[in-house]
Amino acid sequence: MVEFAFVAPMLTGIIAFFLPLTAGRPLLVLTGAVHLALSIMLWALRPAAFFPAYFAVTPEGLLSLLVISLLFFLISIYTTAYLKAADIRSENIFTGSMLLFLSTMTMVTLSEHIMVMWIAIEATTLASAPLIYTHRSAASLEATWKYVLICSVGIALALLGSVFITLSMDVGGVNVPVAFSALTDVANQLDPLWLKTGFVFILVGYGTKMGLAPMHTWLPDAHSEAPSPASALLSGVLLNCAYLGIFKTNKIMHAAGLGDFSGTILMTFGLVSILAAATFILKQTEYKRLLAYSSIENMGIIAFGTGIGGLGTYGAVICLIHHSLIKSSLFLCSGNILLGFGDRLIAATGQMARRMPKTFVAFFGGFAGISGFPPFGIFIGEFFIIMAAFRTGHHLAVGLFVLSLCVIFAGFARHVMKISFDDVDATTQIEEKSIMVWPQYALLTTSLVLCFWIPETLYQTIVQAVANMGGGF
Amino acid sequence: MIHPVDTLLALVLLSVLISFGSSRLPTLIKALAFQGVVVSIVPFFMGHELTAGGVVFTLATMVIRGLGIPLCIHLAIKKVAIKREVEPIIGYNASLLAGLLLIVAAAFVSPKFNLPQTSVHALLLPTAITLIVAGMFLLMARRNAIAMVLGYIMMENGIYVVGTSFSLRGHHIVEFGILLDVLAGVMIMAIILQNIKQTFDDVDTAHLRTLKE
Repeated sequence: MVEFAFVAPMLTGIIAFFLPLTAGRPLLVLTGAVHLALSIMLWALRPAAFFPAYFAVTPEGLLSLLVISLLFFLISIYTTAYLKAADIRSENIFTGSMLLFLSTMTMVTLSEHIMVMWIAIEATTLASAPLIYTHRSAASLEATWKYVLICSVGIALALLGSVFITLSMDVGGVNVPVAFSALTDVANQLDPLWLKTGFVFILVGYGTKMGLAPMHTWLPDAHSEAPSPASALLSGVLLNCAYLGIFKTNKIMHAAGLGDFSGTILMTFGLVSILAAATFILKQTEYKRLLAYSSIENMGIIAFGTGIGGLGTYGAVICLIHHSLIKSSLFLCSGNILLGFGDRLIAATGQMARRMPKTFVAFFGGFAGISGFPPFGIFIGEFFIIMAAFRTGHHLAVGLFVLSLCVIFAGFARHVMKISFDDVDATTQIEEKSIMVWPQYALLTTSLVLCFWIPETLYQTIVQAVANMGGGF
Repeated sequence: MIHPVDTLLALVLLSVLISFGSSRLPTLIKALAFQGVVVSIVPFFMGHELTAGGVVFTLATMVIRGLGIPLCIHLAIKKVAIKREVEPIIGYNASLLAGLLLIVAAAFVSPKFNLPQTSVHALLLPTAITLIVAGMFLLMARRNAIAMVLGYIMMENGIYVVGTSFSLRGHHIVEFGILLDVLAGVMIMAIILQNIKQTFDDVDTAHLRTLKE
């Protein structure tokens, strides 16, 4: 039953490759719906897997899985309309890759064995590479090449890190399955030196995929060259999958009493990412790259929060969920803007408030949400992280953190104001299909609702996920 | 007496030096294919107990690393490979010197890790370190996209040596999955290579520098 969640989209994905060009669209939505139903069932029943050595349902995995499922379903509805409007030549490859991408990401959330986790994360790179190359231009070719090469090399380092962790078992004389939960249980018997080495390699490896600076260079290119629904998936859920690998390893570190070591490194990478995003966001000329740098910022925030531990980890998980919901809606809006204005440059846009009012509402709402304004969840997450940082006495770090957030807000706001209100010659209304805006509304509303009311089961799952890092209240 | 594993690993180290010194892509691909075969038969001589599944797995690795992956790259770049040099950023002589220094440094630091296996097979850890760092070196020191892919494969070979020799908990299914991932990765890279060739009529990554801040 557990394995079915990733086998189903894998099968439909393979089928989609061989279907006629446009026949994949209903299949996309159908698979999305079935996958969402499966995820909810997994959440409610929490069954055991057929291969318990390799796969398991864990609280942190379930959180990511539900986010993936919900996002994919809404994005697939948007995609059907987007594919009609946009000019994409090999549509069957696009839909097939989308489904395989969903399958591999689901596999990441359900994997329990350290090496299976690696296999699944590498598979996400391979499944998403054709998505970035969809437009077949020289620039998209360059973006795909960078993405595949940088991520593969990065993830190869994570493989080395995983091998080091098995080595820490050998040196420590521990004999348990090489699974995250089993290792967490016996963490204090593992050899600390090799465990630390393994963690550093895994952090650098999966951090590359997560978009942590200075290994982030592939991210803006890939996100800007991919078609918008694919960018929404890349930013909204792929980054979370890589984070999950780091999160689970960090759990072992905490159980082994090395939480301070891993926390310091995570905080450093997080801060560097936020600072890098703040530097580059000011001078952006393309709106999709702008959103990509904002993703780097948010991944930095999440890594920073996880590094602080305790309440900070809770805040990081909140940020993770809301970043997925809000950022994917922003990327879908960027698809509408691209179709409407026909250009990726910020300079080519303007007067969106008048010319595309429906998209404007979603885009501006998403901007407010991602910058951390109160009615949206990122505000709460960041608030918890800042509180936790003060409690643990990281005054300098939190100072830099807040300063960078202000700079990023200022830079982001300037560009968004330009897109929304700047005067342009043309004032004609651009047609907006309602099917291409309501998925964004649905995503933003979910974020809004989750800010005021977290269902008890969701709250319990988050607390279970962060429990061993001293999370919760 | 010199252990057969050390003899094999010495061959691997030689293949690293050959790949650093060669200017032609076909030579580089052959060196990597040879390296793949040698690296994948190391487990036979390690003295671990091999099950029937283990033998099949090792043979499959040998076929994929020694034949599948090099063939895949060779087919992807057929025309370019005959004509083109590897376009070094760091020259061949300097590369060779760097390779020699790397091997010496790896041999120097290896005993400090204090691993039980290193006392029996003296070259095991130095070779693994050399392969991983040498792969990264090729990635950075060559502008030719194919040479970069070959660098990635060399790195994977190094990780394979670490994985099969130091860790005793090889689940063959998992290792096979890793192998398939690498194969699929190389295939995707080969497809991109073909497209780079068609778009720019060359595989020099200097063409791929338009996207930047």
